[in-house]
Amino acid sequence: MNFLRRLKPSSREGSLALILIVAVGGTGLINPRFLTGDGTRDLFTSTSVVALLAIGIAPIVIMRHIDLSISSTVGLTAWVVADMCAKNPDFTWVQCFVVGPIIGIAVGIVNGLLVAGLRLPSLVVTLGTLYIVRGFVYVVSNSVDYNAQEMPPSLLDLGQKVFFGLLPFTFLLVIIAMLLMGFFMKYTKSGRDAYAIGSNPPAADLVGIKVFRRTFLAFVFSGFMAGLAGVFYLMRFAQVDSTAFYGQELAVVAAVVIGGVTIMGGSGTVVGAVIGALLVQTIQGGLAALGVDAFWKAAVNGLLLIVAIYADRVLAVRSEKSLLAQRIRERV
Amino acid sequence: MSKFFKLRSIPRSWDTAILGLLAMVLILASTTTEGFLTSLNISYIFSNTSEITIMAFAMTFLIITGEIDLSIASILALGSSMLGWSYANGAPIWLAILICLAVGTLCGFINGFLVTKVGLGSLAVTIGTLALYRGIANGILGENTVNEFPEAYTSFGFDTIGNSFMPKTLPLIIFFGLIFGFLLHRTPFGRRTLAIGQSPEAARFAGINVVRHKIIVFTFTGFMSGVAGVIYTFRFSTAQADNGVGLELLVISAILLGGVSIFGGVGTMWGVVAGVLLAGAVESWLTLREINAQWRTIVTGILLLISVAAPVLVAKNKARRERKALKS
Repeated sequence: MNFLRRLKPSSREGSLALILIVAVGGTGLINPRFLTGDGTRDLFTSTSVVALLAIGIAPIVIMRHIDLSISSTVGLTAWVVADMCAKNPDFTWVQCFVVGPIIGIAVGIVNGLLVAGLRLPSLVVTLGTLYIVRGFVYVVSNSVDYNAQEMPPSLLDLGQKVFFGLLPFTFLLVIIAMLLMGFFMKYTKSGRDAYAIGSNPPAADLVGIKVFRRTFLAFVFSGFMAGLAGVFYLMRFAQVDSTAFYGQELAVVAAVVIGGVTIMGGSGTVVGAVIGALLVQTIQGGLAALGVDAFWKAAVNGLLLIVAIYADRVLAVRSEKSLLAQRIRERV
Repeated sequence: MSKFFKLRSIPRSWDTAILGLLAMVLILASTTTEGFLTSLNISYIFSNTSEITIMAFAMTFLIITGEIDLSIASILALGSSMLGWSYANGAPIWLAILICLAVGTLCGFINGFLVTKVGLGSLAVTIGTLALYRGIANGILGENTVNEFPEAYTSFGFDTIGNSFMPKTLPLIIFFGLIFGFLLHRTPFGRRTLAIGQSPEAARFAGINVVRHKIIVFTFTGFMSGVAGVIYTFRFSTAQADNGVGLELLVISAILLGGVSIFGGVGTMWGVVAGVLLAGAVESWLTLREINAQWRTIVTGILLLISVAAPVLVAKNKARRERKALKS
């Protein structure tokens, strides 16, 4: 028994990783292909866009804000980058990786100014920019679609590149971004400020944290990641139209929340967000392996999100109680 | 009577500004665009905003209490799918309608239960149920659509009363509007709603059963989404899983445009009606001017931003002026 207790993971990320392993194993039992190198590679490839976005919005959610406009930003960058490449056949992946993030940053700046500058509720603001950016895609795209032949071969090759037979280039970038951002959130002053802001925004302001600057930059960062994700989208699907990535913002929010980032702010990690994204994708894959109709996919996503919020709440109540008990013990 | 028309206190508030804006848009549109002020077009405006208005009535209460429900459009779709599914499977039409209403009410209750009894944030929960309810609708109907409904019912969706400009849905909307308006402004229930929005803590200490009140409001919202589901189904004569995608955002932007504070505690029913009509009038104006449908997505977004930014900017400006006045 003691041995088992020692195995019990102490951190939220640990338990999530355990659930992920169980989910992957369970799916593997039904469909053995899931456990092969090919299966792992597919899981990584299909998760990279959502995982990248999850890293992007995790700091925002930790600050008790939200960014719903990311899916529209992904659609915008994917379309504009494809359009640019179609008109300039000599462009390579380098230009794509420059232009995509710049467009994302532009959207992020608008969000950041409205939320941090005017102190408007981020939910409504990013709902508004979700509309505006998507509408903008509709208008500029004029129903023009792009396919693989119009895209730079070097970009598509990069999307196909796989290390050691199971680690795609795109997911390698996700891991690098996760490690950098994880370090930043944990060990730098700006990162710790984000947690302080999310735990208690007025208090953070009172102790002299630069709330405006941190919030603004968080939105710019999320825009940057959404721009990058737009390029990833092209690398993965090699085609784009004006409805690309429509309505996927909730899947990203679900991944982040399932990954243990509290929607009320103040806690959670970037690593958790990425594990959350992998978990959502695995469960989807598992359901497909079980032969569940694809039509139920959205319902499962919603249910997962509600369960995750519920688990989060239970854990929060429990830790609050244990902290209280500890304080009482110290007093006595 | 004098109490009813408390005009002196109104003029400075945001919802009178929106009434002014509505009047301005109506005048501009009718003078610059031919065919705007025709009975046919007015009928279109009313019938195009039917579902939005119906859902906005109940949702106003919810936003005033400081909560939000993003799942209303999914409830509409689930109700509509259940209506179509049960009718296609041989249920009489009245039973199918009742099922739609019951499903809506149940969905709203589940939202309320999760938010109040379980204690989860309404934003997160209803993002979850948004996916869940529409997902269930998807699971039930798949890619199928049901579109063979009795003539008498579908004509209710888009016909007008006699030769007048009034769509047949209008009396229903007015009926609900009066009920909810009365409920908000003339009953203890409405006062409690506003009190909870101002300060849930204070409301609780004043003896208001906040949990029960919020569950009731969530359930109302679900029920009204069911009603909207019935109207939507008959208006388009089709029941399918992607009915009304994204409608929740239109409802929220119309309500905020109508002067209800997203932070809760402030709002009037006539403001909301003006907000819905303003959004509808602008939409119709753009259509008549043959402005690309794609632009309307942008206009909706901008309206939403204006509706949330304008009151804040007005308040900031006011505070600055007061500070200046204090200094001098």
